[in-house]
Amino acid sequence: MENIQKLTHAYEQAPWRKQMYMIGVILLILVSAAIVAGIYLNVTARAAAIGRQIQEMQVRVYGYHYLTNDASDVIVPIEELEQRIANLTSQLAILTSYQTMQDRVKDLNLQPIDADHIEYMKVPGYYDRQTTSLAPPPEPVVVNASAIDPQFKESLFEWVVEQAQKTARFISEARP
Amino acid sequence: MRRYMADHAIPAGRLRRKPPANEFPDMPHSASEKAGQSLTGWRFNLLAILFLLAGAMIIIQLVRLQFSPERSEFVSLGDQYSRTLHIFYPPRGDIYDRWGRLLAGSTLVYEVGTQVDNVENPDTIAFALSKVLSGHPEYDYAGYSNDIFSVIHRAEISGTAYVQLADFVTPEELSQLQDWAQNYANLPNVDYGESGRPSLDGLVYRPRLQRYYPENELAANVMGFVNREGKGMFGVEAEFNDLLAGAPQSVWMSLDPYQVSEIPQLKAGADLVLTIDREIQAAAEDVLNKALDDSGADGGVISVMDPNTGEMLAIASTPRLNPNEFWNYANVFKDSTPFNRAVSQDYEPGSVFKVLTMAAALDDGAVTPDTEFVDTGSIQIGGITIHNWDWGAWGPQNMQGCLAHSLNVCLTWVATELGAGQFYKYMQNFGFGRTTGIDLAGEAPGRLKLPGDTDWFEAELGTNSFGQGIAVTPIQMVMAISSVANGKGEMMMPHVMRSMVRDGFQYTPTPQVIGKPISEETAHTLTELLARSLEGESSDALIDGYRVAGKTGTAEIATPTGYSTSETNASFVGWGPVNDPRFLVYVWLEKPQSSPWGSIVAAPVFRDMVERLVVLMDIPPDDVSQSLGDE
Repeated sequence: MENIQKLTHAYEQAPWRKQMYMIGVILLILVSAAIVAGIYLNVTARAAAIGRQIQEMQVRVYGYHYLTNDASDVIVPIEELEQRIANLTSQLAILTSYQTMQDRVKDLNLQPIDADHIEYMKVPGYYDRQTTSLAPPPEPVVVNASAIDPQFKESLFEWVVEQAQKTARFISEARP
Repeated sequence: MRRYMADHAIPAGRLRRKPPANEFPDMPHSASEKAGQSLTGWRFNLLAILFLLAGAMIIIQLVRLQFSPERSEFVSLGDQYSRTLHIFYPPRGDIYDRWGRLLAGSTLVYEVGTQVDNVENPDTIAFALSKVLSGHPEYDYAGYSNDIFSVIHRAEISGTAYVQLADFVTPEELSQLQDWAQNYANLPNVDYGESGRPSLDGLVYRPRLQRYYPENELAANVMGFVNREGKGMFGVEAEFNDLLAGAPQSVWMSLDPYQVSEIPQLKAGADLVLTIDREIQAAAEDVLNKALDDSGADGGVISVMDPNTGEMLAIASTPRLNPNEFWNYANVFKDSTPFNRAVSQDYEPGSVFKVLTMAAALDDGAVTPDTEFVDTGSIQIGGITIHNWDWGAWGPQNMQGCLAHSLNVCLTWVATELGAGQFYKYMQNFGFGRTTGIDLAGEAPGRLKLPGDTDWFEAELGTNSFGQGIAVTPIQMVMAISSVANGKGEMMMPHVMRSMVRDGFQYTPTPQVIGKPISEETAHTLTELLARSLEGESSDALIDGYRVAGKTGTAEIATPTGYSTSETNASFVGWGPVNDPRFLVYVWLEKPQSSPWGSIVAAPVFRDMVERLVVLMDIPPDDVSQSLGDE
């Protein structure tokens, strides 16, 4: 028994070594946790900041403008641009409205023509006036092509499998 | 040596370890070392217990809150501030005439309100708004300033974040407000007394779109208008409201930046291309206005249709409302005046209806163009005596004569030859007694009394044959007569929507044939009869160079005491050119004062309209068409 005790004691770690080991392990855990927490905090903080920016842009899109000191004109959201385009389209329509054109006719001292003053002639290949077509050409078929390279989406398992397949191909090709 | 090492080389930790019994002799620790170790252990233990207790308390509190009665209140309070409801309205679709000219679009207006926390001086805001918006019909009243002030005050008390103060503010009005705000912002920092420094701080605005009609009153009866709630009223706006408005989307948007939701892609309202030709519409309205001035009529309608397709090229009706100022509706349409008489007002059409009686009789074979009728000036039917418009007897007449002289007696006889069963079958086939299905809101069905109805008597067959005792709308007449006018016997469905543009594609429905009440041969025969009738009578409806067919109508107006002889409905329906029909024009003047007769007041209106129509539609005179066709 005494011999066993002696043997055990002979191979036992020194207490200070044990303590250092424990401290090291705890510190490793703490540092690892701190690193993970730091990365998490960094990512979430950036996500929150981006989210807040998006929200601010959304508020600007459907939000309110101050009468003074409003810098929202610097970046105009699409919706407001569309509103302005619609407004300008209407303004253009006013400028070419029937009444405005009649006023211009009067200003230019033009007279509406009577039926008996019109001379008709046959023009080969002439096509009668066609009614309006407002629709743009049909949209091209959209292929579902992702902008992200497949390398960035593959899992570790898929990568290992692919590497294994590559290696197998290489070996089979190298074989005489 | 060992002692030395024990004192100077062995780390402190080793001192706490009990050395093996035989190898190292017991070396008792000093009293101070022992005291220090026990003190350190006691402190660490206390600290650990404290931390443990603090952690336990936090966990207990967390658990308690989770199961406390206030939990649901906290959750709902959190929900209240965690998201906001946004309703996204897609822009309303535009409306164009057949050549792509904008008839209804959108214009910028602004909603003005206050962010209550930022308001510095409610008095200034109330004063500025009441002055700047004084020209605004909705805010032009004496107490508006006080109302604004009280609204802001109430919001401040209740803690409301935002209150709307005005809507549909024009860009000009907003610009004035911005000038005011800038001027106030530039005021010097001095003591302004009890009223405080004038400021428009807290006043905010938001742009939005409002329906706008660049042509103002032009085609207003066809277009309708959009009210403050964004709902289409009357005409095309009401009929196609769902299409034009698109689908608003309500989205709960989270305020949590981790849960940013995407603003939905709104499906914009569809654009519409109408069959209406702006120039023809303007001409029709111009001619109608002139006709009303000349005749002193209460109101009127001019409808222009392409009888081959049913496309309505123009529908002019009175009165007209500027849809940009729709709040004047009650002032314009008094005493239940319909928004569009052409589709919503039924009336007794009078002799223009004889076209259809004759069409039915010819098609049925009850008469032929050469059938002779001896007009004695009166005819008995169902216990009543029917006379001609002039109370005269016109002697022997063929069918062309009956139509040319618009003989009631003759047409009554024709209807009896046809028989009530066949007559009403044809009238139903012509679409009377039901709506035409024109794509304009508020169409009236009219009334066609049928044998078997409690209020139908045999005399109705006689009166109906010349357009009395039957209620029709102008658009019903146009649709029915299109079967004659297009020379094919096909009755075309009248419509104003030529095509719809949605999701990047333009859909153009094919013209709809409602039915074929008469044969092609009948249509040709009747057109020829009516063309000769006009020529034989040297009608005021005739146009130099163009051969047209048509019929006048003068209908007495029913009153509670019987038919009024002083008040009439004067009308004319005509189409042309006879060889290649391109237009069908229907004119109706209500209660003309200058003359009660359609041949005098309505026929010239038809001529004026067609004279402008042939120019606008590039229709060459018949001889030119003939010569060009021969080349």
